[in-house]
Amino acid sequence: MKLTACLAIAVALLGAALPPVLGAQGKPLNVTGVRGLTFGAVFPGVPRVISRSDPANAGQFDIGHAKFAPIQLTFTLPSVMVGPAGATMPLIFGASDAGYSSPETITSQVGFDPRVPFTTALDKNGRAAVFIGGRAQPAPSQRAGAYTATITLTVTVLP
Amino acid sequence: MRNSKLSLAVVVLAVIGVSAAQAQTNNASITATATVQTPINVIGAQALAFGNVFPGVNKSVAATDLTNAGRFDVAGQASAPVTLSFTLPATLSFGANTMPIDSYSGMRADNSAQTVGTVAFTPGASNSATLSAAGSMFVWVGARVTPATNQAQGVYTANVTMTVVY
Repeated sequence: MKLTACLAIAVALLGAALPPVLGAQGKPLNVTGVRGLTFGAVFPGVPRVISRSDPANAGQFDIGHAKFAPIQLTFTLPSVMVGPAGATMPLIFGASDAGYSSPETITSQVGFDPRVPFTTALDKNGRAAVFIGGRAQPAPSQRAGAYTATITLTVTVLP
Repeated sequence: MRNSKLSLAVVVLAVIGVSAAQAQTNNASITATATVQTPINVIGAQALAFGNVFPGVNKSVAATDLTNAGRFDVAGQASAPVTLSFTLPATLSFGANTMPIDSYSGMRADNSAQTVGTVAFTPGASNSATLSAAGSMFVWVGARVTPATNQAQGVYTANVTMTVVY
């Protein structure tokens, strides 16, 4: 009986230490950054907008998990891109700059505001794609050069 | 033995319960990128000079006149399309006296000698153009003044402004 109790404690501790990536159906929660948000050549003083429906330049994440799993999407969005010698360029996201697609096609999206958490559910395949566009706002005197920023998507499986 | 099996079953359920109760979270990142091109720089390089004008005698300065046409020098991103916008005065002024300007002409080129990439145009609110492969452009403005027969003697001036945007 003591052995059983010890085993029970050990297994319980092991279970508590397992990384929380397995769902009810045993499928891991996968989030993958597929494509960056690309503004390309930007001219000083001329804003550049990339639509979330732009197949070449919109950012894309893929999500995989258990079918029908309820999830919450939360973006961590930069307010600027950083360029040469620490120069910054505003990066603006609007209320419909993100899109959710269960069939994982850029032409079939449900728009949402990337600035606030978005709740939805995976489909029967347990997969989805998330797209994001935005607006680069260079100043008329914007320093020439390459600018970058990091966009992070956090996916939480809801109970 | 029966008790042991029962305990193990309880343990397995407990493990499943722990896994299911934990919030499952994962994340990934992508990069946003942009390449800012060279800012535009415009210089008023040479004034539009009509020189001596006589009352009642119109005088023109052609945009091809390298000595007297007004000239702007533009520098920016190589081969970039730009829009030229002109603010053109309708008169020259000398105190309270004015002298009409009734027409303007424009010329642009890739070099200051007007020998490469030369294009004639009518300066206005919106003129499309393209910077050279070296990122430069030279723009000349000509015009015609029409002094009255009783035009007051004096030095008449006005400002001609060109704005360039990508």
